[in-house]
Amino acid sequence: MTLFPPRRGASGLHTGNDLQANVPAVRIDGVKAGALAVGHARLVAVAVAFGLTFGAIAVRMVDVGVFSHGLGLLYYHASANPTDVSRADIVDRNGVVLATSLPTVTLYARPKEIQNPVTATNKLLSVLPDLNRAKVLADLSSHRYFVYLHRDLTPHQQYLVNALGIPGLHFQKDERRVYPQGDLVAHLIGLTNIDNRGISGVEKEFDKRLRSSHKPLRLSIDIRMQQVVHDAVKNAVTRFSAVGGCGIIMNVDTGEVLAMVSFPDFDPNNPPAPNDPAMFNRATDGVYEMGSTFKLFDAAAAFKYGAATLESKFDASHPLDVNGAIIHDFDAQNRVLTVPEILIYSSNIGAARMALKMGADKQRAFLKSVGMLAPLHFQVPELGMPLYPRHDWRPINTATIAFGHGISVTPLHLITGVSALIDGGIYHNPTLLPVPPGATVPGHRVISTKISGEIRYLMRQVVLKGTGKFANVPGYDIGGKTGTAELVVNGRYKNHDVRSSFMAAFPMNDPRYAVLVLIDQPHGTKATYGLNEGAWVAAPAVARIISRIGPMVGFVPRKPQGTARGPRPASHGHRGIADTNRVSRPAKHNGAGTGRRGIALSSVPRDSSMEGRHVATD
Amino acid sequence: MAFRSRYSSALNPNEMTWRDKVWQINWGLITLITAVAAIGFLTLYSAAQGSIHPWALKQMIRFGVGLGVLLVVALIDIRFWLRQAYPIYGIALLLLVAVLIRGTIGLGAQRWISLGFIQLQPSEVMKVGLVLALARYFHGATIQEIGKPLFLVPPLIMVGLPVALVLKQPDLGTAMMLVMAAGAIFFMAGVRLWKFAVVIVLGLACLPVAWHFLHGYQRERLVVFLNPGADPLGAGYHILQSKIALGSGGLFGKGYMMGTQSRLDFLPEKQTDFIFTMFGEEWGMIGGLVLLTLYVLLVTYGFAIALRCRSHFGRLMALGVTTTFFLYFFINVAMVMGLVPVVGVPLPLVSYGGTAMLTVLFGFGLIMNAYVHRDVVIGRRGANEE
Repeated sequence: MTLFPPRRGASGLHTGNDLQANVPAVRIDGVKAGALAVGHARLVAVAVAFGLTFGAIAVRMVDVGVFSHGLGLLYYHASANPTDVSRADIVDRNGVVLATSLPTVTLYARPKEIQNPVTATNKLLSVLPDLNRAKVLADLSSHRYFVYLHRDLTPHQQYLVNALGIPGLHFQKDERRVYPQGDLVAHLIGLTNIDNRGISGVEKEFDKRLRSSHKPLRLSIDIRMQQVVHDAVKNAVTRFSAVGGCGIIMNVDTGEVLAMVSFPDFDPNNPPAPNDPAMFNRATDGVYEMGSTFKLFDAAAAFKYGAATLESKFDASHPLDVNGAIIHDFDAQNRVLTVPEILIYSSNIGAARMALKMGADKQRAFLKSVGMLAPLHFQVPELGMPLYPRHDWRPINTATIAFGHGISVTPLHLITGVSALIDGGIYHNPTLLPVPPGATVPGHRVISTKISGEIRYLMRQVVLKGTGKFANVPGYDIGGKTGTAELVVNGRYKNHDVRSSFMAAFPMNDPRYAVLVLIDQPHGTKATYGLNEGAWVAAPAVARIISRIGPMVGFVPRKPQGTARGPRPASHGHRGIADTNRVSRPAKHNGAGTGRRGIALSSVPRDSSMEGRHVATD
Repeated sequence: MAFRSRYSSALNPNEMTWRDKVWQINWGLITLITAVAAIGFLTLYSAAQGSIHPWALKQMIRFGVGLGVLLVVALIDIRFWLRQAYPIYGIALLLLVAVLIRGTIGLGAQRWISLGFIQLQPSEVMKVGLVLALARYFHGATIQEIGKPLFLVPPLIMVGLPVALVLKQPDLGTAMMLVMAAGAIFFMAGVRLWKFAVVIVLGLACLPVAWHFLHGYQRERLVVFLNPGADPLGAGYHILQSKIALGSGGLFGKGYMMGTQSRLDFLPEKQTDFIFTMFGEEWGMIGGLVLLTLYVLLVTYGFAIALRCRSHFGRLMALGVTTTFFLYFFINVAMVMGLVPVVGVPLPLVSYGGTAMLTVLFGFGLIMNAYVHRDVVIGRRGANEE
C-alpha cells in the first residue's frame, strides 16, 4: 500500500504494519483474529464489486457520450425543425407567397391518464380560455383513449399548456395552411380541409402535386394586378350596392390568367361554411347571359362567313319581329346602321339581323370554335357548364344569341373568346400556370388576322364614340364592349335587375391584356343618373384597372396630342409579364406584313385616321 | 501498559497528542476532496449563467465550514466516536421521528426540519449515525457471535427503524442507500453469505407488496425507468432531457458555459441532482471520465484506509462511510444516465446542497479519523485495553 506516506519521525518503522505483522499484535487482537481475517477477504470482495460498478459507469459514460449521440439529436430535431411541413407553397408568377404551411401543434389528451379531470379542465381553461369548459370536462372524464382538445396552438400557448404539467396531455405535430394574401386570391387558391387535403380551387386541382413535391407551385397570377382588380370590383360592387361581381385580366397572347377576382369573397384563413354564397367563384363557375358583349362574336362570325363587312349596313329603323317576338334597341337610333354603328350604339336589331343573315348553323359553329358551348379546361375544379338551346336553333334563338341572350357562359368563357378575336384570331385555352418565355402556346385559328384587326377597330370605336366612353383612359388605346344583360326571374326578363359588364383590351393596336369586369345586379346611383348599365357601372371600373396596371406592366401613356401610338416598352425591369410576352412572341414586332398581325396592322387605320373615318360614316 | 512504554509518546498510537494527530492527517485525501468540490463550484458557476450567485458562493462557504468539521471530526479520539455511536444514532432516529411529525414539506416530501439556524435533513444525519452504530455493534463481536442468528436481530432493527421512517417521508433513494450501506457493513462484519441470500429472496418476495405501498409518482418513475420514451413530456421528461444533454456533449463537450440543454432550462434541477448531466454536456465524455476517476480515487482512499485500519470499529466505520459515499455517486450518476430509476440523490461534493455536503465531509472526517487512529487498539467495550 503505497497510498500513504510513511509516518514522519518513524524513520522507516511503520508502526501499524509492525503491529499487524508481529506476534504481539496478533496476540493482542487474538480474540478477533477470525473476524479480522474474514473482514480482509470481504473488504477485497467489496472493493472488487465497487470497481466493477465504476467500470460499468465508465462504459455507460462512453456509450452515452459517443454512441448515443445520434439518439439525442434525433429527438431534438424531430421537434424543432420548422421547415418540416408536408404541403408545398403556392406562389404567384413573381414568387409572392399565396399559400403556405406553418408547423403547429395540436393538443390532445389521453383521458385515462388524466388523474383529476376537474382540476385539469380548470387549469386548461386558465390558459386556453376559448375552450368550451363543458366539452373539455366531458372529454377528459370520458373513457376514450384519445380526444382532441385544441388544434393549432401557438408556440406560446404550447408553452403555457406544457407549463401546467398536467399528465395525460400530449402534443401532436401538425401543420396549418396559411394564406398571407387573405381574401385577395381566396376563390382561386381554394381551401384545404382539416386533414390538409385540398377541397377547392388550386388546392384541390393540384392536391397531389402540392403533397408530393416541396417545390412551390407557381401560378400565372400577378398579385399586383390581382390587388388592382380586387380593389376595382369591390369598389363597384359597394358603390352600386350590387349582389356581387367579378373581374379577370388575361394575357391575350398566351391565355394566362393574371388576375381573377370574385366578389363577395372570404378570408381563407377563417373560411365561412361551405355553402356560404361568398364561396362561389363567379369568374369560373357563374354561368350568365352576357348581353351585348356577345355582339363581338356576332360581328366576327358575320365577317368570317361573309354575311357582313365593316361597310355593311343593317336596318335598325324599327323593332325587329322574329316570328312574333319583338326585338328592341335600348338606345334606338331608328335608322339604318353600319356595322361599327351597331357596335357603338349596341343595337340589338342590327346584331340580330346580322346573325339571321349568317344563319344558325354558322353562328353555332363559330360560338363552338371560340369555346362558348363547352366547359373550359382550366386549373380549378369549379367550372361552370354553358347553357344554350340543345336542339336546333330557331331564328329567335339565333337573333337573341347574337346580342348575348339565350346563351349563358362563364365570365372566363367570354374573356377567353374575346381574347381569341383580338389576338390575331388564335384561340388559346385559359391557363393558371405561367407560360415560360419562348414557349409556343397551342391554339387554333378561329378568324383571320384581318378580321381580328377589324374587331379591334370596332372595340376601339366603342370606347371612343359609343357606350364604352367611360372606359377610356387618356394615353392608352383601350377598346371594349359593354354588356347589360337583363336577369331572368321566373322565366321572364326583369327590366331593372341586370348584369353589367365591360369587356376590354389594351393597347388596341396590338392588344396585350384583356380585362373583364362584371357586376351582378348593380343599382344606379345619383352620380349615374340612376342608370345601371355596363357603360355606367363596369366601364369605369375597367378604366381604373387599366390606368393602374398600365404603368405596372411598363406601358407609358401615349401623349394625347401625338398621332403615333404609344411606344411599347422595348424592355423594362418588371418581373414577368411584358418580358415574357416579348420573348414568346418575337415575330410580333417584325413589322407590317411579316408578323402575325401584319395584315391587321396595315389594313386597319391608326387611331387618328380611325376617328376621321368614323366621323365620315356617322 | 508495558506495550505503551516500549515506544516514545510520538509513536504510541493510543496516546497521541493533538500535534501528533495533525501530522497524521492525510493531505492527499483532502486535496482530492477539494479538487472534486472545486469542479462543483465551477459547474455551479456555469449553471448560474456565469455567476457566483446564487449557488457557487454559498457552496464554497459550506465547503469551507465542512472542511473545518472534517478536521475536527478527524482529530477527536476514535474512542469518543465509539462511545458516542449509539447516542448519535439515537439522536438521528429522534430527528427522523420529529421530521415526520413536524417537518417542512419540500418538493412533495417531508424531509427537512428546521433547527432554528439551519434546515436539516435528518435522513442525511442518519446515514452517518447508522454507520457509526453498526460499526460499534459489530466492533465487539466475535466470529462465533456473528454466526448466531439472534445476534443479528438488534442490528437488523437498527437498520429497519430508520429505513421505515425514511420510506414514510417518502425518500426511496435514501432508504436504498441506508439498506445498502448497512448491507456492506454486515458483509464486512462477517455475516454468512447464505443469510444475505435469505434476506434478498425475502426482499424480492415482498416487492409486490412494496409496489402497493409506493406513491403514484414513485411507480411512475419505475415504469418510466423501464421505458423512458413512453411519456417524453411527462414523467420521462427528466431522464430524456438528461440523456439528450449528456449525449449532446459528445466526446469533448460543448465547452465550459456553452451547454445549451442546461442553459436553456431544458434540464430541471441542473444545480442539484442533475448536475452531472450539465457537467457532462459541457465537458463531454472526457470530462465525465476525469470526474469518475477522481471519485474512484476517493473511494480507493476509503478502502485503503479501511484495509489499513487496526481496529475493527475504525475499519467498519471507514468502510461504511466509503460505501455510503460510493452509493451517493453511483446512484446519482447511474440515475442521470438512465441506468437506475430517478431517485433524489445528489452527486456528493458537487451538487448544490448544504446537508449533503456536510454529511459527506463529516463522513470523510470519520474516514480521516480512522486513518489518524489507524493503529489505536480498541477493546471490546471501547477501552484501549482488553
